[in-house]
Amino acid sequence: MKVRGEQTLPLEPTAAWELLLNTDALAQAIPGCEGLVPLGPDEYQMKMKIAVASIQGLFAGKVRIADRNPPNSYRLHIEGQGKLGFVRGSGLLSFSPDATGTRITYEGEVQVGGLIASVGERMLDVTTKMMIGHFFNNLAQQAHH
Amino acid sequence: MATTTPTTPTKVQLKVGQRLRRQEDPRLITGTATYVDDIKKPGTLYAAILRSPHAAARIQALRTEAAAQAPGVHAVFTGADVEGVGPVPCAAALPGLRVPKHTILATNRVYYVGHPVAVVVASDRYLAADALDLIEVDYDPTTAVADPEKALAAGAPAVHPEWPDNIAFTQNTVYGDPNKAFAAADVVVKQRIVSQRLIPTAMETRGVVAEWSPGDKQLTIYSSTQIPHLLRTQLAIMLGLPENHLRVITPEVGGGFGSKLNVYAEEALVGFVSMRVNKPIKWIEGRREAFQVTIHGRGHVDYVEMAAKKDGTITGMKIKIIQDLGAYHQLLGPLIPTLSVLMLPGLYNFHDAEANVFGVFTNAAPTDAYRGAGRPEATHCVERIVDILAAKLKMDPTEIRRKNFPAKDAFPFTTATGLAYDSGDYAKPLDKAMQIVDYRALRARQAEARKQGRLMGVGISTYGEICAFGPSPATPAGGWESATVKVEPTGKVTVMTGASPHGQGQETSFAQLAADAFGVPMDDVVVLHGDTAVVQYGIGTFGSRGTAVGGTAVHLALQDLRAKCTKFAAHAMGVSPDEVSFEGGIFTSPKTAKTVTFQEVALEAYVCRNLPPGVEPGLLVTRFFEPSNFAFPFGAHIAVVEVDRDTGEIRIERYVAVDDCGKVINPLLVDGQVHGGVAQALGQAIFEEAVYDEYGNLVTGELMTYAIPKAHHVPEIETERTETPSPVNPLGVKGVGEAGTIGCSPALVNAVVDALAPLGVTHIDMPMTPQKVWRLIQERSQA
Amino acid sequence: MIPQSFEYSAPESVSEALRLLGSVENSRVLAGGQSLIPMMKLRLSGPAHVIDLGRIAELHYIAQTNGSVRLGAMSTHNQVAVSETLRRSCPLLAEVAGRIGDPQVRNLGTIGGSTAHADPAADYPAALQALRAQIRLVGAGRERTVSAEDFFLDAFTTALGEGEIVYEVIVPADAPGLGSAYVKLQQPASGFAVAGVAAQVAVSGGQISVARVGITGVGAKSYVAQAVENALTGRPATAATLAAASRLAAQGVEALNDLYAQADYRTHLAEVATRRALEQALALAR
Repeated sequence: MKVRGEQTLPLEPTAAWELLLNTDALAQAIPGCEGLVPLGPDEYQMKMKIAVASIQGLFAGKVRIADRNPPNSYRLHIEGQGKLGFVRGSGLLSFSPDATGTRITYEGEVQVGGLIASVGERMLDVTTKMMIGHFFNNLAQQAHH
Repeated sequence: MATTTPTTPTKVQLKVGQRLRRQEDPRLITGTATYVDDIKKPGTLYAAILRSPHAAARIQALRTEAAAQAPGVHAVFTGADVEGVGPVPCAAALPGLRVPKHTILATNRVYYVGHPVAVVVASDRYLAADALDLIEVDYDPTTAVADPEKALAAGAPAVHPEWPDNIAFTQNTVYGDPNKAFAAADVVVKQRIVSQRLIPTAMETRGVVAEWSPGDKQLTIYSSTQIPHLLRTQLAIMLGLPENHLRVITPEVGGGFGSKLNVYAEEALVGFVSMRVNKPIKWIEGRREAFQVTIHGRGHVDYVEMAAKKDGTITGMKIKIIQDLGAYHQLLGPLIPTLSVLMLPGLYNFHDAEANVFGVFTNAAPTDAYRGAGRPEATHCVERIVDILAAKLKMDPTEIRRKNFPAKDAFPFTTATGLAYDSGDYAKPLDKAMQIVDYRALRARQAEARKQGRLMGVGISTYGEICAFGPSPATPAGGWESATVKVEPTGKVTVMTGASPHGQGQETSFAQLAADAFGVPMDDVVVLHGDTAVVQYGIGTFGSRGTAVGGTAVHLALQDLRAKCTKFAAHAMGVSPDEVSFEGGIFTSPKTAKTVTFQEVALEAYVCRNLPPGVEPGLLVTRFFEPSNFAFPFGAHIAVVEVDRDTGEIRIERYVAVDDCGKVINPLLVDGQVHGGVAQALGQAIFEEAVYDEYGNLVTGELMTYAIPKAHHVPEIETERTETPSPVNPLGVKGVGEAGTIGCSPALVNAVVDALAPLGVTHIDMPMTPQKVWRLIQERSQA
Repeated sequence: MIPQSFEYSAPESVSEALRLLGSVENSRVLAGGQSLIPMMKLRLSGPAHVIDLGRIAELHYIAQTNGSVRLGAMSTHNQVAVSETLRRSCPLLAEVAGRIGDPQVRNLGTIGGSTAHADPAADYPAALQALRAQIRLVGAGRERTVSAEDFFLDAFTTALGEGEIVYEVIVPADAPGLGSAYVKLQQPASGFAVAGVAAQVAVSGGQISVARVGITGVGAKSYVAQAVENALTGRPATAATLAAASRLAAQGVEALNDLYAQADYRTHLAEVATRRALEQALALAR
């Protein structure tokens, strides 16, 4: 599944870039994230608790940052698996200044497998968008603080 | 045996030909039928199967300890534990066929989503399901390919690493001189036509109960299957058990449609587990599991070409069939597209053709026989391309068909692909269907609708099919069928058929045959089937063979038994057998004016007070019927539709099905078969498609996303018949189980294309979802 | 299709249900079970404790009180569909209820459960938005009333707080002369709305005096089609007005995307369903 979109953060590009690479900020912003534990340079172990509608599930996985091009772009790789299935995603985040701060555009691909892929077709698009939305809203809230 | 003088003879109404309600229905309607899940053995353990979430992956590690120690768990088995069990069989003996080793549990790789990896047995199904969650598998996913055309492309991932081209087999067949026919043609039309992957969706999912009896070393398998005897033979081979130590019982089967014409990994697995843990084991497939692992149907991409003269005379046909076989072969999978090749000419009289079949591996569930099995795909192609040809030549679709039918005195008619069509009069059902819809008035109404900008269409399909499978040399495991008929001392009749009816209604139609043979009421007849310890070896029910082959075996046994009864009666009346007439359960000797009843004969055959010389006691006959040919039903279906320009929705205004399945034993059963078949084809035409995403996930994974037609989606189906007896069997019957699925889809698609023709649309692939139709209208309206 | 094990309680009063909800970890409220039970059977949802509201008599009622109809949360879709009170005072809600799922679903599913679940394609929300319904929520020692517009926040996301349940839904009785209609284009497998439009129209002197439109199935949440309503109100009650207004059905809405209907098609269906619903409602307006 392809995902793309953009969000604006009320920060200068450099500050936005730093926020999006700050593991505490990321941990707070990723919906359901129960912490990021460094595994190596730019690689973290992650536990996530997903709760959408009555669906609940724990995912364990990794977050990896690659292709750093400060403060313009980097690539984010996420993978996780749990009883509900597995998710693998990779996307390029690009930062550019705009009137109110920084426009962050993201473009990537999410692969979903297992139970959620076989029964969740109707929900997948809307819940993916919702979680991306939550992620950026959470970041935006942090930016305001 | 006492003989009496006849009273006034009453005219006996025969049961054959009557519209009788099904003997089976009361137990089905009142919920007293016994399905596999109703089998309850004391001490039963429940099996749950861990399945791969990946379409392609290496298994790096598999940890089952936690599951094995979970509450209520008796055992966990993985691929390594079942190495001694033979592979899931494929009976397709095609030259050069590549057959992947199909173990009952995955070993070091998984090839499709749903691939079984481990089995847990626990004291109840909840604990078994809980324990599945405790098995840890480390998968190393590899790239999957689930689209057959992509699988054929250069650089595609290999489904089986040993065969990087993903080709399981190819078959090239040339009939006559197609190149010459195409070169000489006035017109050639071409179309890529898809018959999409479908999920059979029997109301009852599969299920197995296995009970190992260690004392007498007998394994009893209850399975929801169409082929109890073939299953027994194959399971004996897989499990290494002597065949006579294995009993297969088929209780009530809640729908098969070909999906249970198979030997599945789980049938052997559950048997294996029962033998290992010494307990009865039950496994009932979930709906999501059924969607992922029970065979799928169709899965064709066809490139079709037709050559013709200016006047519409068809002169040749070419087809390239790309058959999506999935990751493994099930019992007959690779054979199915070869049936499409045989059926390619449809009802048309031409003799030059070429077919190229590519059987392709994909990371998806195996495909195999699904109601129609290869013939709907072929019929869809020929009936579509004939319409495309008619449109190109500006001919009426009924005219072009009529022009190319063989004459009714040309039978047996040898087709381009070498089949000998047994009997036919193809214009007859077409005439009748046209008369029912008032074809001329309908076209006038369509012209009027078009003037108003409405998208109304009329679709014709004149289909033929191969039924009554079949002569043994043309089938992988014997094409005959068996019947035993015994008359009990009290005059009750027991019919044991080797066919394994599972919804077709043969407990009724075979009872009709028996009731007429002995002049007894329907309720005096019991039809037994589906238990290898009770019924003599048989082949099973599939390929519209139950009545034409199985029914004929019953008929032959009945004839023999009646002849024997006649000997008893003649002896009692003191005449020779050829001096005895029989009607309504009474043997009469006109010469001596004496009678004996069938019941009196039955008793005498067992008490033997006055045994006729040279006649053995008892009334039991077993017959095997080997058909000399297939039977070839045909018909004409007409659909009238209107397309909603705003939404792309299709409204079916009328659906007329005129079918010729030869002689009819019970018109109610025939109507029921046509209704069901049309509903399933309508599902293919408009709603259904098994969709795998680019990673090999079956995203139409349950009934919330995979749309089977509901009652309110199905229009009133107007059924009519013509009756052209088959010379292949003494009953004159052909077969009707698949007629609806074969005849209907092209009628609907032709109707929708006809509706959209003013926009320049010449083809649409199935399923014709509103979105797809709407997009087509958008594109064409802008063009 | 086998759920994980869970504790089960069937309290007989709302206060007892709220007490349980506040005291048991990882509990879920079960109303008609038409969404929760399938998710549990698929093991997508594994609550430790299920609190079944089915035995709470005080949640079963459909009653008219001055100018509005109040529906207890446990009113089943079928009870709503056949309610004489609603047929008389708010036929739109009855019509929508009668279009949900199939008879089995309608005999078990409830208005409170559907509302709390907030499926983006559920039928009720279209009517609740069009009707400007109020939803009364109760928690331990507190209660509040939220408008439908403020209640549905996102896909499967509502204003329902921790420890709260939907107690009742309150819809206004129709003013005289209102015509109403629900048009639903549905996914044939699930029966869920791909575009479901509930509309109410009143006409005065040839002009549209009242226009209320609620839409479900199109976006992540149901919504009041404000732009459509604005384009109707005060305009001549003509086909052209309806057609022009319907074009605004999905304005500003990011349409859902799935196999059956991609976003552009869904957006288009929103327009078609809106136009048809308005036409039908107008025909019934007096």
